Amino acid sequence: MREGEPGGGPYGAAAVLDLDKLLAARLYAARVRPYLATALFALRVVPSRQVPTMGVDRHWRCYVSPAFVDRTPVEDLAGVWVHEVSHLLRDHHGRSDRYARLHGLTGPAERLRMNIAADCEINDDVYGDGLVTPEGAVTPTTLALRPGELMEDYLRQFTLGARSQDLAWLDCGSGADGLDREWDLGADGARGLSEQERDAVRFRVAQGIKGRPGSASRGWRRWAEDAFHPPQRWRELLGAAIRSAVSGPGAGDDYTYGRPARRSAGLPGVVLPSLRRRPPRVAVVIDTSGSVSDAELGSALLEITAIAKAVGGRRDLVTVVPCDAAVRVVHALCRAEGVALLGGGGTDLRAGFAKALRLRPRPDAVVVLTDGQTAWPATRPPCRTVIGLFPRPSVGRAWHEHDPDYVPDRPPDWARLVEIGPDQGR
Amino acid sequence: MPSAVLPASDVPQLDTAADLLTLLRDTTTEPRPDSQLEALALAVAADLPVLLWGEPGIGKTAALTQLAAELELPLTTVIASVHEPSDFAGLPVVGDDPAEQGVPMAPPDWAVRLVRAGRGLLFLDELSTAPPAVQAALLRLVLERRVGALRLPPGIRIVAAANPRSSAADGWELSPPLANRFVHLKWTHDHEVVVRGLGGTWPRATLPRLDPQRLGDAVDFARLAVCALLAARPTLVHRLPADETRRGGAWPSPRSWDMTLTLIAFATAASSSRDVLSLLVRGTVGDGPGLELLASLDRLDLPDPEDVLADPAGAELPDRGDLRQAVLDGVVAAVRERPDRARWDAAWTLLVRAAETGPRDLVVVPATTLAALRREEWDVPASIERLAGVVSLSAQADRVADRTAARTAARTGR
Repeated sequence: MREGEPGGGPYGAAAVLDLDKLLAARLYAARVRPYLATALFALRVVPSRQVPTMGVDRHWRCYVSPAFVDRTPVEDLAGVWVHEVSHLLRDHHGRSDRYARLHGLTGPAERLRMNIAADCEINDDVYGDGLVTPEGAVTPTTLALRPGELMEDYLRQFTLGARSQDLAWLDCGSGADGLDREWDLGADGARGLSEQERDAVRFRVAQGIKGRPGSASRGWRRWAEDAFHPPQRWRELLGAAIRSAVSGPGAGDDYTYGRPARRSAGLPGVVLPSLRRRPPRVAVVIDTSGSVSDAELGSALLEITAIAKAVGGRRDLVTVVPCDAAVRVVHALCRAEGVALLGGGGTDLRAGFAKALRLRPRPDAVVVLTDGQTAWPATRPPCRTVIGLFPRPSVGRAWHEHDPDYVPDRPPDWARLVEIGPDQGR
Repeated sequence: MPSAVLPASDVPQLDTAADLLTLLRDTTTEPRPDSQLEALALAVAADLPVLLWGEPGIGKTAALTQLAAELELPLTTVIASVHEPSDFAGLPVVGDDPAEQGVPMAPPDWAVRLVRAGRGLLFLDELSTAPPAVQAALLRLVLERRVGALRLPPGIRIVAAANPRSSAADGWELSPPLANRFVHLKWTHDHEVVVRGLGGTWPRATLPRLDPQRLGDAVDFARLAVCALLAARPTLVHRLPADETRRGGAWPSPRSWDMTLTLIAFATAASSSRDVLSLLVRGTVGDGPGLELLASLDRLDLPDPEDVLADPAGAELPDRGDLRQAVLDGVVAAVRERPDRARWDAAWTLLVRAAETGPRDLVVVPATTLAALRREEWDVPASIERLAGVVSLSAQADRVADRTAARTAARTGR
């Protein structure tokens, strides 16, 4: 980040870096954010008169302008340290590159936008608690955006314009937006961190946060959870789970020796299997106990019918079993999609299971859509089961009028579990 | 070719086309380090089943071709999705007297040729788009090295490729027990390489060479690396993937740790970089345990605190800040464990050296801890004066803390 006037003067009179001031700031930053100490100490300081303020490159070098250190108070410098290291920990350069490739973005203006979006992701909860917000830090509020989102979300929401005019001179280096700067020492330059070393540092910081989550902010905790396992989109997971459930032996396209192949006629003495198709039957049990919203239910149900169709099923082979009083959306969707709808009844998901398994012919897979606030069958059903779980933030708080100690059972481990989150169009 | 199709000319058109094709194929190569190809080469050399995960058309086959040329092995590519299970499990051929002689499973021609050659690289492409029965037959081929009644000789190396789950149209995935038998390598393309290659210059990776002198050391190092980690972290030995996101990928078990050990030995004997090792280890036991192993390797590389205390003036301090601090912390912890005057003094000598040769902020915490370990009868060493800069740094940070606290108090009081 950079402070001062856009065209403001030469980069100052100070030619020699006041290293003590800079290191005191790092020491202070490591004291108030102990979980970032490893990352802060792994950064290499490179004095540079070309860099406007402080910037990082993707090899974990931190370029520092001596003049900037001179004119900035130590407490602000500490904030800048944490800010710059956050860019690297959160892999903003890699994410910028991926975003640019995915959306075909080129040019410095787009990279500036990425720097701004990355700053927004960091700045909304990195300061406070002993760390002052440095002068001129961009926050989502600066751009009239909601705080708490990711860089990629912000990138979709703003363009360079009147609101971001003042930010045109912001520069956190190539470590923030992936665009190489003239002062970068590059991959071959001395004393950079290799990819493996960078991962190792990020991993240690994430482990530290996960080990003692109490001291880290919500944003950091979320980062630590996802650092090496970015959340996958639930559609892909649900799709994979259902596909593997319905493509097991006996369903879908498969070879069988039950009937010789037609090409056997040309090869006397050789027994060849033939390809046989048995489209999979899917029963969808829907827990419509009121806590699941119509929109969530609708998108999940559409997804399932689409997958069933894709694996060769016909719509008449998908059966929906609503548990409890069926909501409007189920009826509407089933009519629109031509899906067979079985009557509702029973507030217990177990009744829904029983009903699905009584279907003739038997389903190859049962997919359950629920918010998990229910009892589960005690024994494993005789076919594959996929549970689409609508996460409820307060599962632990689930409360029954007559039984305040009631805690819903965890979904059983014989089923494959996919958490269905909010829709995130990418 | 009927002459009506091509306009008449002195030079036959097809010859001109051939010239044009020759020009197009006239590309050069340049050496370029390629971690993923190096990792693949090591896994193939170690004779472990490799599964390449990559989108179609990103050059998996080209990489295999290069690898085969480099290893001087003939390459056989089998596209799994166009075959039937019997092509891999063998075709049952009914003989004269099945009850007496049994029904032999006849292998396909490519397998017969491969076995006859005795050596080669077998590439099973598009594993994920084949029907389940074909996949089952293929896995037997990969894991048991059997095609029908034939057993592939040890000179044959097998590599399989699959599309990632998200892009596989009919969504095949490995069950955890199967996933555990593979080294999973993600195959990605490098934008720069592709652009430069289409411009006429393709990269040529120099493959790792195993150094015959280093074999013994490599095995010792690999055993030490894996055992040091697993002794300290017993829960890492076996951990089934619990959630959907991690299914079908690498996970730790005694089998995959054994594969990891082999791969570390190979990478060490070939003097491969840590980046290559990282790809291999994370592809075998998964990201989390793999990164823990690599972090533990970093620590194995650090000097032993006792050695440092024995010779504080000559000890090598790492250049990287976080590792340097780990050494200083380790030395102070060693003094705390067995405090005596000589060790305490040696630690001060080391801290002074650290403060004079690197960033001073790293020394503050170890110095504070060491100062607290002082016994009454111990005199403060004279060299400690040279740590004045460190003390002032610490005082500066203390003042910031006070100022920030005052500022916060003023703001909340308002």
